[in-house]
Amino acid sequence: MNAQAELTSAYRAQSRRPRTRAWRSPITLTDADPLRPLLAQCALGNRQAFETLYRTVSPRLHGVAMRFMGRQDLAEEVLQEAFIRIWYNASRYEAHLAAPMTWMINITRNLAIDQLRKRREQPLADGQQDALPDEGPSAHDLLDSERDARALNSCLDTLDGMQRQSITVAYFQGLSCSELAEHLAAPLGSVKSWIRRGMERLRRCLES
Amino acid sequence: MNYQTTALRRALAADYAIGLMPATARRRFDALLLDDAALRIELGHWQEALASLTGALPERPVPEHVWAVINARIEPQVLHVPAQKPFWMNLRLLAAAFGIVLAVLVGLLYQRDTSVEYNATLVAADQQPALHIQAFSDHLQIEPLALAAVEPTRDLELWVIPPGGKPISLGLVPAAGKGRIQLSTEQQALLTAPLTLAVSLEPRGGSPTGQPTGPVLYQGQLASL
Repeated sequence: MNAQAELTSAYRAQSRRPRTRAWRSPITLTDADPLRPLLAQCALGNRQAFETLYRTVSPRLHGVAMRFMGRQDLAEEVLQEAFIRIWYNASRYEAHLAAPMTWMINITRNLAIDQLRKRREQPLADGQQDALPDEGPSAHDLLDSERDARALNSCLDTLDGMQRQSITVAYFQGLSCSELAEHLAAPLGSVKSWIRRGMERLRRCLES
Repeated sequence: MNYQTTALRRALAADYAIGLMPATARRRFDALLLDDAALRIELGHWQEALASLTGALPERPVPEHVWAVINARIEPQVLHVPAQKPFWMNLRLLAAAFGIVLAVLVGLLYQRDTSVEYNATLVAADQQPALHIQAFSDHLQIEPLALAAVEPTRDLELWVIPPGGKPISLGLVPAAGKGRIQLSTEQQALLTAPLTLAVSLEPRGGSPTGQPTGPVLYQGQLASL
């Protein structure tokens, strides 16, 4: 338990440090990452390492799942599935492609988006509509609260309002281009070009 | 579509990373990713950058029952740890328990003799019998049942593991499988009590360290006849 606590705090300390630009130095970042050996141990079937990993990153992933699902029970389901997937796919983690946290966030996000898409396709039964809470913070609140998210967000700030909003909404809701157009009440062509130009500008900013 | 244009590749990877692609396009992109390492790296950059969108989200404590469910769901999984050490320790425990019980029985029932004293059937990890061993007072007679083929640069080494002790080499299993292993006086003395036998895969000529260095392929208990 001690070793676990140490690791957890080591990780926390690291994750609070301002992140170097992911674009330019993904390798050095991952080299020092204490999550990496944990994932490697999981790949070997080490359940102790898995539990340590879980204790370390589950609050963070839970926050992510909650942001997507907006409901406690659904967020927990996504979190559960995410960890099952992390356990069984640990051997497929490729350190040169992504930091461990990014890999795990992506797993969580993909599962959340799958759920969101399924739920969008299912017509709601009577009364269910009322049972649904708000869709979470509006895109604008979201942007404000996430303004301080280090490297990417300082780059996001260089984008036009609509470019920024379409990228953020798309990321957190898993909408296709046409759904996004509907959501933002804007022509499809404009949405496509906001995204494309926004991502290109983002990229130039991240690379500089 | 020409996927080689840099601008297009970038744009596609970006779309994929955000999640804008419809299902069919996503599947096509998945297929492209499989053989295109550069594209995977490109995508990795986007994913890394976009993941920082989640950086400001608050952490949320997780109720304990979530872990209980996860733990239960991975429970049936058989571990595939190549755990050399725990294995030996486990064997030692087994050998100790077994040794004590049989030493008492044998001590009561048998006087030492020169004919066949003990025998053992060593089994592979899947519990299939692999090797039959008869212990005489000064040698072992080895009878292969189903031995795995061994590369010419390797040898199989036979070990005896005394209760609570380290493995002690009894010598190499004859390359042909069938044959005898002559026992020194010390080794004969070892075989006075029922023990665990194990066969490990070693470099040609046997373990350079005096302790097993390779995987244990077969193991079994010496039992009195």
